[in-house]
Amino acid sequence: MVNVINTLQKLIKNIEPKFTNEGPLQRFFPIFEATESFLFSTAEKTNSGPHVRDSVDIKRVMILVVLALIPCYIFGAINIGVQAGIATGKVRSLFDNFIFGMEYIIPIILVAFIAGAFWEVLFAVVRKHDIYEGFLVTCALIPLLMPPTIPLWQVFVATSFGIVIGKEIFGGVGYNIFNPALVTRAFIYFAYPTEIAGDKVWLVGPDGYSGATALAIPAAAENSNALDLLHNVTQFDFSWINMAMGYVPGSIGETNKIIILLSAIFLVYIKIASWRTIVAAVLGLFFTAIVTNILAPFSSNTMLSLPPHYHLVMGSFMFGVVFMATEPVTSAHTNRGKWIYGFLIGSLTVIIRSINPAYPEGIMLAILLMNAFAPLIDYFVIQKNINQRKLRYAK
Amino acid sequence: MTHIKIRKGHNIRISGTPIDEYYNIEQTKTVSIQPHDFRYIKPKLLVKTGDRVEIGSPLFFDKLQPDIKWASPGGGEVKEVVLGERRAIQKIIIQLDEEEKSVIHSPIKYQEISSLGKTKVTDKILEANLWPLIRQRPYNKIADQNDNPRAIFVSGFNSAPLSVNLDFALRHKQSVFQAGLDVLNQLSDGNVHLTFEADTNCETLTSARNVNLHTIDGPHPSGNVGIQIHHIDPWKPNEVIWVVNAQHVITIGDLFLKGIYDPSIIATVGGPGVKNCAHIKTRTGASIETFLSDNLHIDDNRIISGDILTGKESDLNGYIGYYDTTISVVPNSNDREFLGLLKPGNDKTRYSVTNAFVLKNKTTFSFTTQQSGSLRPMVPINAWENMLPMDIYPNALYRSILAEDFEEMEGLGLLECDEEDFALCSFVCPSKIDIGSVIRSGLDLMKDDG
Repeated sequence: MVNVINTLQKLIKNIEPKFTNEGPLQRFFPIFEATESFLFSTAEKTNSGPHVRDSVDIKRVMILVVLALIPCYIFGAINIGVQAGIATGKVRSLFDNFIFGMEYIIPIILVAFIAGAFWEVLFAVVRKHDIYEGFLVTCALIPLLMPPTIPLWQVFVATSFGIVIGKEIFGGVGYNIFNPALVTRAFIYFAYPTEIAGDKVWLVGPDGYSGATALAIPAAAENSNALDLLHNVTQFDFSWINMAMGYVPGSIGETNKIIILLSAIFLVYIKIASWRTIVAAVLGLFFTAIVTNILAPFSSNTMLSLPPHYHLVMGSFMFGVVFMATEPVTSAHTNRGKWIYGFLIGSLTVIIRSINPAYPEGIMLAILLMNAFAPLIDYFVIQKNINQRKLRYAK
Repeated sequence: MTHIKIRKGHNIRISGTPIDEYYNIEQTKTVSIQPHDFRYIKPKLLVKTGDRVEIGSPLFFDKLQPDIKWASPGGGEVKEVVLGERRAIQKIIIQLDEEEKSVIHSPIKYQEISSLGKTKVTDKILEANLWPLIRQRPYNKIADQNDNPRAIFVSGFNSAPLSVNLDFALRHKQSVFQAGLDVLNQLSDGNVHLTFEADTNCETLTSARNVNLHTIDGPHPSGNVGIQIHHIDPWKPNEVIWVVNAQHVITIGDLFLKGIYDPSIIATVGGPGVKNCAHIKTRTGASIETFLSDNLHIDDNRIISGDILTGKESDLNGYIGYYDTTISVVPNSNDREFLGLLKPGNDKTRYSVTNAFVLKNKTTFSFTTQQSGSLRPMVPINAWENMLPMDIYPNALYRSILAEDFEEMEGLGLLECDEEDFALCSFVCPSKIDIGSVIRSGLDLMKDDG
């Protein structure tokens, strides 16, 4: 092992001159730098300010988010197998389910990473900056947001759109307004609505085998009770506990809420995700759902009667809040702002789910909308600080 | 007595903390004053190479404030005036005599200090060429003697890593310290505030009279005077607040009681590169070599005058800065870890839990000068906010400075800040942004703008 490392180090030393000043490949220095610093960490020394620095860096932050996503992948693969089993009547072992699912997931991952890395490297080379690690998280999130049956060319087109329009045209990681992974999802959603609108389930099964998603069932009916409708479904088990455990059809990564909750605890513990955003979003969801429950008897809209704890485990709410809403760049930056931002995401999710019959799921649009409003929320929070200071100065 | 509890911040767990004992070193043979330790001055020399000077005689003055002169911290011969680019004065080096002479001023009895009045006190400090000991906020520059400060702050607590333990350094100096505080009382119509750690047992601090006493506890930067001002009596426009280092209060007390400038200070030498990390009796402007001869583990080090967060890089031929009381030594390292970023927990230096989620019981870390990452655009995961115990939005302030938006900078409280208060933010920043220097450039912009 030590030998391999030494050889690698020598190899890198040997090819370095080709990439630095006057070398024939100097244009591609970002690629060299990224490979080198991925393998051996950077050798840069502090040159100003504090002479010592903490060992955390953006690479580490991004890698840890990707790490937190891996359990979602594993369960996603298993669930693809389980759902296909239900559709075809075949029963496989847990491991066979996993292998069955991976056959669908791996091509999607490969396509997403190839598309993402291509654009990131292209922009880094043209703009002459280091390759920023943010695309790793974006590309790791994208497959989890996709149904297993998605055509691979759509993944490629959508990822390209998400990375270029969602991020690079603003200047790259740190400057983007919208979460690039969600922009990718939104692109597919609006460009190919027949396949991914979220009213029909996605699963790997025989042609023509389909059914309504849990969210679409109450949305389609009038003057009924949402829970009765869900429990009357025989095709899938839409009980609360089964939806929390994730054995329902859905996008690859979002179905198992337990795993998402554990990932959330991990991300909050290592202080990458903001607990304020997550708690506020859940509060917003419960508050708004309770209000719609109160209003339900006065309306023919069945969705209004869906209880808050069902809203919590249905659709991608938890996945979106934990992995998308907390994304630091596009969320509100101030702590007070995060409470408002999170609360409105939870609230808007319920409103879009209940009131808008065209979109069974609301979390994606809620987060994108609040991404757009996050700077405004911050503006008010900061303006309040400025005004308070002015008052104090005037005393 | 009020108590302040600071929750935000972090004590860097660096190895090489100085012990509460004096380490005997060879006394320095040369001393130096370095004009770049002082902000916004235009130094003009009063001596040239070969001149004889006494302790306390003026070395140079500020062309912008000709009354403010700098006292020589040693008696002997001016050995060299080192000039830098565009003939800027870098160092004035003095070779010390065996028997140093000192400029003698008339001593004043302790009881008489409280009836001197501002003018006499100011004149005496100016005459002794010790005015640069008094600094002001905003801008953290030398005070203007014509101002009437609203308050004067003295921090009796050093929270910075490897810094002097004032409990230890101020022991048995009660009468001089009290005299210094009484002198400061004459300089302001407002209050003199002395803040110290809640669990201190140093009588010099706890039994101080005629001043407002405050206790503080919490991690660094709670000892920074800027943080204390913010929590006790925040700055307002058209006001200045003066600040004096606790050890310089003693220097001022000595000037009045004994009539001489006593340049001796207590300093520390510490850090992962140092063998004997301890306190040291030395003097202002002492040669760094005296601290470190036979005292280093390896040769390839960064030697810092001041603490590891805000100090200036120096070398063995350098001299300790005018306001510094710490020499920190951090090894340079070229070690590179194979796939280090994939390890769940490691032995590297850390504040952030991202590198410690596999817990290890390690209390101190041998930091090196490695940056552990490259510069990246800001990814605001609240790292800065958790390090700044002030009612300030560092993120918004940083952006307003980059945008040169004066109104917003002022509104966000830039003038209440100093770069030293933001040093920890840079320490923990995952994007490796040096926010302290941005704060400094913001202050410079405001200063130029008037």
